[in-house]
Amino acid sequence: MFKELDPLLHSELRLAVMSILLSVDEADFVYLKEQTKATSGNLSVQIDKLNEAGYIEVERGFAGKRTRTVCKITPVGVKAFEDYVESLKSYLKL
Amino acid sequence: MEDKQLNEKESLELITQMIRNTQKKMEKGSGIPFLIWGYVTIAVSLTVWYLLGKTGNQNWNFLWFAIPVIGFPVMLLALKRKTTLPKTYIDKVISYVWIVMGVSALIPSMAAAVIHNFPVLFLVVLLISAGTAMTGLVIKFKPLVISGFGGMLLSILCLILRESLDSILVFAALFLLVQVIPGHILNYKNRKNHV
Repeated sequence: MFKELDPLLHSELRLAVMSILLSVDEADFVYLKEQTKATSGNLSVQIDKLNEAGYIEVERGFAGKRTRTVCKITPVGVKAFEDYVESLKSYLKL
Repeated sequence: MEDKQLNEKESLELITQMIRNTQKKMEKGSGIPFLIWGYVTIAVSLTVWYLLGKTGNQNWNFLWFAIPVIGFPVMLLALKRKTTLPKTYIDKVISYVWIVMGVSALIPSMAAAVIHNFPVLFLVVLLISAGTAMTGLVIKFKPLVISGFGGMLLSILCLILRESLDSILVFAALFLLVQVIPGHILNYKNRKNHV
């Protein structure tokens, strides 16, 4: 029987953000935007969704005079990601 | 990239691609801490060597503490110019290595202030070289590994010459080897990778 795919992760932009955050300790909003080639507005919305679900932590601060948003994956997010990959494997029969 | 649904295969490809792109990134200017500590240490060493030789007054040895006094604020200023590149686990490991090495190097420096003829220069070069070698091994960068192990080996010269003022010159030369030269190579390599 197939495991259900987490709808929060089964979207291109959110999955990209989670994949990046899984491989680093923390990443800047600007970096995420560059890597995903998303618009600021869309990326903000998706980051908020992941944050609300407890999958990532978002820290807003300042770097000099400019605002800086830093995102970090949480243990809940890592677990969700692992489950998602396991589900993908069962779909792809890997 | 948008908020669109992917099929299972596309999802797996996206995960692989994002992880691969992130791992490729190498921080531009990551040789800067090496250059700051290297140049500050060399400048202070040569000043102490000159003043001790000229006056014979051992109180000039307190000038060694100018290294952390100058080095830390300059480092803080340099780190303030944040890049947007992500902080990787490797960055974290490297900063922990240098915190441990920095504190370890401070302890013999304090001991040298109270214990006569303490082999402080030997210990400091040995510890800093070990930090360089460890950094090189972690980031898989040969020039750091070679200069780090070379510095560890050559640190013995500071021990052999510890009665002589020339040990300070050897100390400065070894900082050139384990900090300044690899720092420049690291910066050059990273600049090339970003072009």
